Amino acid sequence: MGSLARAYGRPLASVIAGIAVAWVLVLILVPLGAMVEQSLWWRESKGDISLTIDRLYNDISLIELDREAETDPAKKAAFDQSLADKQAEIATLEAQETNPPKTYGLANFTRMSGLHFYIFVRTIFYALLVTALALVVCYPVAYVVALASGPRKAVILMVALIVPYAINELLRVYAWLMILDYRGVINGVLQWMGFIDLDAREWIPFLENPSAVFLAMIYTYVLFMVFPMVNTLETLDRNQIEAARDLGASTFRIHRRVIIPHAKPGIAVGCIMTFMLSAGSYSVPAIMTRGQGGDWFSQLVYRQFYESNNWNMGSAYAVSLLVVCTAFILLMMRLFGVGLRDIAK
Amino acid sequence: MSTATESAGARLVLNIYIGLFVLYLFLPLAVMSAAAFNSFDYPSVTQWHGFTLKWFVALAHDQRLLQGLVNSVLVALGVIAVSIPAGLSGALILTRLGERSGTMLYSVLVSPVLTPGIILGISSLIFWREFGMPGGLFVAVMAQSSFIASYAMLLFLARLQRQDRTLEEAALDLGASHLLVFRRITLPFLAPTCFTAAVVAFLQSFENYNTTVFAIGGEWTLVTEIASRLRFGLSPVINVVGVIFVALTLVAAITYVVLKKKPKT
Repeated sequence: MGSLARAYGRPLASVIAGIAVAWVLVLILVPLGAMVEQSLWWRESKGDISLTIDRLYNDISLIELDREAETDPAKKAAFDQSLADKQAEIATLEAQETNPPKTYGLANFTRMSGLHFYIFVRTIFYALLVTALALVVCYPVAYVVALASGPRKAVILMVALIVPYAINELLRVYAWLMILDYRGVINGVLQWMGFIDLDAREWIPFLENPSAVFLAMIYTYVLFMVFPMVNTLETLDRNQIEAARDLGASTFRIHRRVIIPHAKPGIAVGCIMTFMLSAGSYSVPAIMTRGQGGDWFSQLVYRQFYESNNWNMGSAYAVSLLVVCTAFILLMMRLFGVGLRDIAK
Repeated sequence: MSTATESAGARLVLNIYIGLFVLYLFLPLAVMSAAAFNSFDYPSVTQWHGFTLKWFVALAHDQRLLQGLVNSVLVALGVIAVSIPAGLSGALILTRLGERSGTMLYSVLVSPVLTPGIILGISSLIFWREFGMPGGLFVAVMAQSSFIASYAMLLFLARLQRQDRTLEEAALDLGASHLLVFRRITLPFLAPTCFTAAVVAFLQSFENYNTTVFAIGGEWTLVTEIASRLRFGLSPVINVVGVIFVALTLVAAITYVVLKKKPKT
């Protein structure tokens, strides 16, 4: 803070610090805290509260009947007393019924049903698979763009990669929806070749298979793997490759000992982005399956918020996803020996 | 020109591989674009019923999509207004902080970039409900700004690393006030980055779906409207939106390449 005031003067420094603090608190930390807090409590709605209330009302009617029949004033007063007691009890119970008390605990996490937990694990597994496949597919691409082409070819290739990357992800998913739909491109071609008859509804239901989501997801997020790798590979001095070759290293050895070690930060960033995007993707599964195929975890989260209206459960699901993604980031950083500063380049 | 480290055969294989990859990237987009001009009611290229522009006319009369476009622009402008000052402040502080406290603050400020978008949407939704703000355009602005400000900050940080600090110090020594130095030296130095950051923020906000869909509540932007259309049935009107996006991106990319080449010749 002192150095800040020295650099920008006290008034300006306090404005800058104020904006930054507001950003950290209002946009990042407190909303995150609010979500975690929301996931840690629930309202206990006991089904038997209504029953107890009904029973109390019955009691009251009976006591009132007895009171009407009673002539002894002392006993009448006793009846009045018990009536007042019952009514007070009803009042507190009814308050609980309409506004059940908060209970804190981890139940939102442990209460996840078997099916939902299975979907959770499957989502993580598919996201890992998308990441691994994207890495394998993209490494040669990044290598050619960054190291194995002249300046002119590199520019053309970069544009060829940036254009699809810049197009909205929904539209990229939509393109695949058109291809795989019942009356989509593939089924259309199959009909044209005489294998199936669309009018007889003989189409192949690609969209009902989870791999449709998988295919579209690779297409949508594969480029997030390419660009970080290209960025790091471009900084590699080509003379190092030359030197390795002159010294008799095989192509495989050059990649393993020279190029891949240099690309490490890029690979880490690519993997983190691809995993994070696919594990948390709502767009791809929501559009591709349209309720016909298997669910993705993000769809369960969405439904907790906008259909079941159970924000506590939904927050717990979101926190679970966040924990897995954070763990993945930490793992990648340790595995590739890179820090946060390298990542954000 | 290029370092020929591979044999001719290996180069051929690599080139074919790249060609296939680019084809894989563009073919679905080409299919989507072509279907916008098919007069068949269902977006298709295999059942061609003749060339038409009627879906473009249909788009021009689609009130919800047009309102979505307006909403998207409003949200994007809001995001620029929030995230540029935030990103700039964050960067100015980080360049002056020591190694240790700097790393702490840095981790917090870049964390939204590494957080799944739906989490940002959800946490903003929950936070702003406490203040009586239900999901809508305002919450969408806040949710998007939380990570777009981080991108802006990274851009400012990169620029500030190349700053010659002696200039500011000299001005201060010569008796200029801090405010004057900031206005006459620091800000002009950062102005190009302000522009870049604003463009990046606009595009990021305009495209965003995963965060927005949670924060938007009952309102809609162009992108969330497209998504909800896609869930109910396909219409070539969406393909028209796609064609427009593809065309704008191509024009922007080509302009960029041409502009980048110019200074060399």
